[in-house]
Amino acid sequence: MSIKACTSCKRISTRERCPVCNNPTSTNWSGLLIIVDPENSDIAKELNIELPGEYALRVR
Amino acid sequence: MEDHKNSIYALKTATGQERNVARMLARKSKDSGIGLGAILVPESLKGYILVESSTKIDMQNPAFKIPHLRGIVESSSRSAANANMVSFEEVKKFLNPEPIISSIQKGSIVELISGPFKGERAKVVRIDESREEVVLELIEAAVPIPVTVKGDQIRIIQKEAD
Repeated sequence: MSIKACTSCKRISTRERCPVCNNPTSTNWSGLLIIVDPENSDIAKELNIELPGEYALRVR
Repeated sequence: MEDHKNSIYALKTATGQERNVARMLARKSKDSGIGLGAILVPESLKGYILVESSTKIDMQNPAFKIPHLRGIVESSSRSAANANMVSFEEVKKFLNPEPIISSIQKGSIVELISGPFKGERAKVVRIDESREEVVLELIEAAVPIPVTVKGDQIRIIQKEAD
């Protein structure tokens, strides 16, 4: 089972469609960002991420 | 919500283990109470991860006893206020990585870094920006055959040949 990233919200999952926003996912992604505490993270605010979890930095 | 600014620290890891270290650190931070906000693993930074934390990172903390985690990157400036910290401006450029293809020009000399022609040098003949592909011509081949590869499979050696 390959790890995929959502083409819209960049969230990493193993599904064909993103479990959060239901957009298609892609296996072609790079860079990893783990948001632990979105309330308390400047990086999460910069990228407008509100849910904790794993994100890709770049998805094609 | 607290009103203080988070600090970003660079941690040294074993090369190739950046993602594993980041995932383990994220898991440990939840139960150990070290105030991590985010962990960043940029593809262009091999052997390092960036950690955003509201507290000062103490490598003696048992939460940082993680396999393949080698230590914190010490800053050369010894000012106590921002020792070992990475500025947010520096981190921003990792958050929106520019596609490698935008820095490639027609006529550039590149080296293939993966695939069947790994290690071969080639000249860029055409660039397809929308599909992020480049058409190359291998330099050492007797007959010039165009090869189409993805933008992430090449490394630029010389910006533009005449």
